[in-house]
Amino acid sequence: MQLIAKLGILADAAKYDASCASSGAPKRSSKGRDGLGATNGMGICHSYTPDGRCVSLLKVLLTNFCLYDCQYCVNRRSSNVPRARFSPEEVVRLTLDFYRRNCISGLFLSSGIIRSADYTMEQLVRVARLLREEHDFRGYIHLKTIPDADPLLIEEAGRLADRLSVNIELPSDASLRRLAPEKQLGTIRQAMGTIHRGQQAVAGEARAPRFTPAGQSTQMIVGADASDDRTILRNAESLYQGYGLKRVYYSAFSPIPDSPDSVPLAAPPLLREHRLYQADFLMRGYGYKAGELLGEVGNLALDIDPKLAWALSNREVFPVDINRAEPALLARVPGIGLRSVQRLVALRRERRVRYDDLIQLRCVLDKARPFIVTSDYRPALAEVRSGLLRARMREPQAPVQMGLWG
Amino acid sequence: MIALDCDDHFATWRDQARVLLGHGIDPVEVNWGQGPIQDLLAMPGALPQGAGPFKARVPAELLGQLQLAGRYRGEQRWNLLYEVLWRVAHGDRTAMLAGDRLGSELQRRIKQVTREAHHLHAFVRFVPLPPALAERLQLDLVAFHEPAHDILESASGHFAERLGRQRWLIATSRDGIRYDGAQFDYRRQCPEAWRQWARQADDPDAELWLTYYRHTFNPARVNPDALRLHMPGRFWRHLPEGPLIPRLVGLARQGKQRDGQAQEVAEQGGKTIRPADSSARRQRQ
Repeated sequence: MQLIAKLGILADAAKYDASCASSGAPKRSSKGRDGLGATNGMGICHSYTPDGRCVSLLKVLLTNFCLYDCQYCVNRRSSNVPRARFSPEEVVRLTLDFYRRNCISGLFLSSGIIRSADYTMEQLVRVARLLREEHDFRGYIHLKTIPDADPLLIEEAGRLADRLSVNIELPSDASLRRLAPEKQLGTIRQAMGTIHRGQQAVAGEARAPRFTPAGQSTQMIVGADASDDRTILRNAESLYQGYGLKRVYYSAFSPIPDSPDSVPLAAPPLLREHRLYQADFLMRGYGYKAGELLGEVGNLALDIDPKLAWALSNREVFPVDINRAEPALLARVPGIGLRSVQRLVALRRERRVRYDDLIQLRCVLDKARPFIVTSDYRPALAEVRSGLLRARMREPQAPVQMGLWG
Repeated sequence: MIALDCDDHFATWRDQARVLLGHGIDPVEVNWGQGPIQDLLAMPGALPQGAGPFKARVPAELLGQLQLAGRYRGEQRWNLLYEVLWRVAHGDRTAMLAGDRLGSELQRRIKQVTREAHHLHAFVRFVPLPPALAERLQLDLVAFHEPAHDILESASGHFAERLGRQRWLIATSRDGIRYDGAQFDYRRQCPEAWRQWARQADDPDAELWLTYYRHTFNPARVNPDALRLHMPGRFWRHLPEGPLIPRLVGLARQGKQRDGQAQEVAEQGGKTIRPADSSARRQRQ
């Protein structure tokens, strides 16, 4: 099979993995040296596809032959898809060619399971080794880790790659048993633990060889089973705490061709995925706990964002005085982001903050208005009940497209 | 009114501004001209001689911010900077903060300029030259790009870090930059030959990237507004994948596909794998 035909099949097979980040790698440069590639911590999106997602890495499978039968996966062994396999050299050639053209900032390589978990992992490591050692490639490398592979292989991968990821796949153990019979939560968590220990072993040692400097991530599929958002976010929270994960990616389940009856054939729940990312960002960046964001209910609201939802159910905290409040509390005001908080703190060192200043800072005042006090403004709506406020502030919902998906 | 021209050079503007500030000349008394359309009321007055009596003290970070904002192409490009400098030098630091009306415009310009440098790093597309031509021109990679602000010179160092000893050039409709593996050659006027090499480069291997782009797209998630937000339409015509975008959106919108697979793959014969091959599975059980 020609290289271009393989590329078509193996890129198509890899698109269901959401991550394409190239950020967080240490500073590396090829200036005046043999080889190719640089990283500086900032990721670059070299293109966007019409689904609005960033193209930062060459994201392909080494092969989509697979012995496993995960029901949600287009490459499961019972799926009737065309199959292909790259040689490691072919992946290297594509990576270097696209990199030189400035189409990508690196490689994200994953694979179906062939022969054995160890054999598959060895092949992935071989590609990374060829790139790093034969071609002096200093760009970004993300390797998918095969959970059942020998920990020694995982450690080897960690020394070559900027990021490793093990997919948790589904939010609960029961769903994993039902939909991914060959995978086990135990071995997935063991692999995460191996990576986490590798990171801890070099943490704080400036001279130690690097180990996954851009951290570890995972992916959870949303909407392939019946788990609620509470299960998903609590699971994510425990992964952030237990294994020091950099990111949990949420992937709205996309219907796959030749779909088995065990998974839904419905449009991907994109808005739910978006709300989960917002909630996740609030946990990572703002210090919210999963429990706070969900309260009594099992799912995040779809019609308002989780920060506004929290503010509406915690009215006793508000209104917040922009001129006096601690930065951490300012950051809990809907419509005021972390950057605006920094700028407000800088500004109020110089003088009193007025309502117009918030407009200049491009805060989202439609959201912030009922929750703030400035030197020249008090909310008339401070007494208005949350239910009424919510009705005013909900985002218009797109009608369900019956024609397409009904 | 003092009419000045700094030829869009920051260093020239800085020297002029320092003299004006030293002589206490108010921003409304000065105008930096842009191009042939001059202010009709501006009687060309001369820049005062010498440093002037007023010794201005401004925070160190202000100069860096002014330099960044000076790369912005737009109305009042240099006048705005002098107004900020004037206010800060006279004790009003809010002029450089985003909460202030003027400071907000300064910060917006800085953001646009930084964003445009990022666009350069993201959307420049190099075409590799065939070996014989590469040898003749002493160039490995060529690109044509159209930045909206004057960021080519300051932001191109990035490609020397990425591309090692490769020799490359980036041509634009105004300036151009060339790197020979060791030294940069920046031209405010891009030589016409550079432009031609960049725009007429043959690319027999272009189809690989287009194939990748088509197949990494998930038609079940089609969302062209998000694409346009992150990758403004003005970049599409210089991107090889640009012409594909409307067609891919159209196919996905027609509802021919209920799943994420590209049509080309769906049309090929498939292959299931017999579980009996599954030695990994046996191991696990």
